Amino acid sequence: MKPRSLLSQSPTTSLKLTTGCETLDACLHGGFPCDSLTEIVAESGCGKTQLCLQLSLCAQLPISNGGLDGSALYLHSEFPFPFRRLHQLSRLFHLSNPSIYADHNDNPCDHVFIQNVHNVDHLFDVMSKIESFVKNSKTRLPLKLIVLDSVAALFRSEFENTPSDLRKRASCFFKISGKLKQLANKFGLAVVITNQVTDFVESSDGLSGLRIGNLRCLYSSGRRVVPALGLAWANCVNSRVFISRSDDSICQERREDDERSGSSYVSRRARRRFDIVFSPYLPASSCEFVITGEGICGRDAEKMDSTFLESGMVVREHQIDTRSLDKSKTLRLRLEKSVESSLGHRLNKTVNFGSLSYHTYANF
Amino acid sequence: MVTWTGLEHFRVGRFNPPPPAIEADDFVYDLRPRWPRGEERGKSPAIEESFHSRRTFMETWRLPLSSSIRGKLISAGYTSLSSISSVSSTDLARGARNAWDMLHEEEALPRITTSCSDLDKILGGGISCRDVTEIGGVPGIGKTQIGIQLSVNVQIPREFGGLGGKAIYIDTEGSFMVERALQIAEACVEDMEEYTGYMHKHFKASQVQMKPRDILENIFYFRVCSYTEQIALVNHLDKFISENKDVKVVIVDSITFHFRQDFDDLAQRTRVLSEMALKFMKLAKKFSLAVVLLNQVTTKYTEGSFQLALALGDSWSHSCTNRVILYWNGDERYAYIDKSPSLPSASASYTVTGRGLRNSSSSSKRVKMM
Repeated sequence: MKPRSLLSQSPTTSLKLTTGCETLDACLHGGFPCDSLTEIVAESGCGKTQLCLQLSLCAQLPISNGGLDGSALYLHSEFPFPFRRLHQLSRLFHLSNPSIYADHNDNPCDHVFIQNVHNVDHLFDVMSKIESFVKNSKTRLPLKLIVLDSVAALFRSEFENTPSDLRKRASCFFKISGKLKQLANKFGLAVVITNQVTDFVESSDGLSGLRIGNLRCLYSSGRRVVPALGLAWANCVNSRVFISRSDDSICQERREDDERSGSSYVSRRARRRFDIVFSPYLPASSCEFVITGEGICGRDAEKMDSTFLESGMVVREHQIDTRSLDKSKTLRLRLEKSVESSLGHRLNKTVNFGSLSYHTYANF
Repeated sequence: MVTWTGLEHFRVGRFNPPPPAIEADDFVYDLRPRWPRGEERGKSPAIEESFHSRRTFMETWRLPLSSSIRGKLISAGYTSLSSISSVSSTDLARGARNAWDMLHEEEALPRITTSCSDLDKILGGGISCRDVTEIGGVPGIGKTQIGIQLSVNVQIPREFGGLGGKAIYIDTEGSFMVERALQIAEACVEDMEEYTGYMHKHFKASQVQMKPRDILENIFYFRVCSYTEQIALVNHLDKFISENKDVKVVIVDSITFHFRQDFDDLAQRTRVLSEMALKFMKLAKKFSLAVVLLNQVTTKYTEGSFQLALALGDSWSHSCTNRVILYWNGDERYAYIDKSPSLPSASASYTVTGRGLRNSSSSSKRVKMM
């Protein structure tokens, strides 16, 4: 057997898959690495699935743009799969990158392969077929990304809390991880796995609070959490990333200096934060981001005044001019129109609160 | 009872004299085969002088020694009197050496620095060659970082106090990132240049010849994806190192990953692992290199509660010479010498920076002797 020459790849960096967002890419030094398992740990509703959908589309970008020039395999174990959201993102992606699809007359959704997995045995079954799928597929783009969303859901129902079942569960973790790493090494794939969190419960042996990585405690939505599946799974992944949200409910009032209308907005912020928990090559860092209609984008400090966040959506404030409105009803219609045109979907309901109005949007 | 072949041997004269009536105190029945092996096999039985040589073989049997000593001499290969007479007592002791010589030898062995002086202090100067060192810790504590740092530091030339050797890095998990190794290599070269600038202020001494890319070229990187590949690679290492004599460190990151899957028969796993451990020890002794094995942490159910322990079980813990455990203490990373034949138990803190492993900057007493 011969050793692999470390200088065979030039430049001497491994290929990275961009997340589509500059701030996240800066935090990750380029994006999610190939030939490596990266785990995204987050509470439900933080944006793991959004990030995974975005990654499956970004994988189709050419290598010069940070993509992998390949298709994605999305294994999902939680129902339902967000098809509508995928179509929406795919449409926007197609519009912003027409050159990739111009010659072949296909659209981004054609290169995202979706497979649902019910339980661990089904997952092993699917993984054994991946190799032949990669070799025999006649698709235009080779497979370059595997997303498993989420691994914790597979183990929820089958294993008890006895030591022997825990051992069996642990050996399943290593099997899954070993197989995925083997595939990643053989075909140069990037593998992204999502995981859930459970509440932190203080135990007498102190093991549930065991510190793993750069963050002493993980907080999300104001309470302390630990990643699911425990220490054994933490040994199986190469890097771990933690996404959290804080319902700070910072109501920021923006009043226009106008005696007449006196209308203002109340924005409720749910801050989302991206932390590197551990990684073989990244320093500890974190950044904040928002989820927009176009997907995930990083939040810069200066831009924050002009955009505000409400349960996952962003409204571009500068399109709305409060001074010319004397009635909140007209305001609402105006808002609806501008939002619809920029985001492409509709508001759910509007609540009028006298001179204030705030809107709730459907969550995806 | 004398069997047919026994009768033939008897006629030819190949037999032990009958035991004395009164047994000596150290008398042991010798049940080894009663015909000499070795030289006689090579000759055809029809040669006449073989009778004469057969006679000389038997001479060891005829010596008035207790049969246990006789048996041991024969199995060591001293079958004839002439061979025994030419040997000295130290040779018979199979190359036993004087402890004083061994101490001098051991002190002369260089050690691989970890770039963190506190860690070096508790390790007695660094990772020692000719030993198998096991380093274990939770994910994210810096095991891979230590591995990469050692594979870079082993290449520090002798003028700077290093070993000037090459490294073998066996990656079972896929944690080795080339850009990180490049970063650490660049920091190492910068440190060496700073050192030359500092020490040889008066004259332009030899510039540091090494470049970061050269450092990467001297790391032999192997990626294994299953336990069979791992075993095959370890078996192959002997040949590989004989061809590349300047390898001075073998790092395995991590030794346990492939062995925590599906091993239904735990006894087989223990056998395979102890064979592997033995091979590593032989490699370390034979080529005078350091073997560093990185291990994971698991929970062990003992005394009614779960405790943290290094993976692979109790039998594995005998396979290494030194053991270092990495753990978090508050916000600091600490290393603790858990097992060592020569070093006292101590712990020291370290940090992982962009330039690699370094001393932690906390001013409190860092090295704690237990």
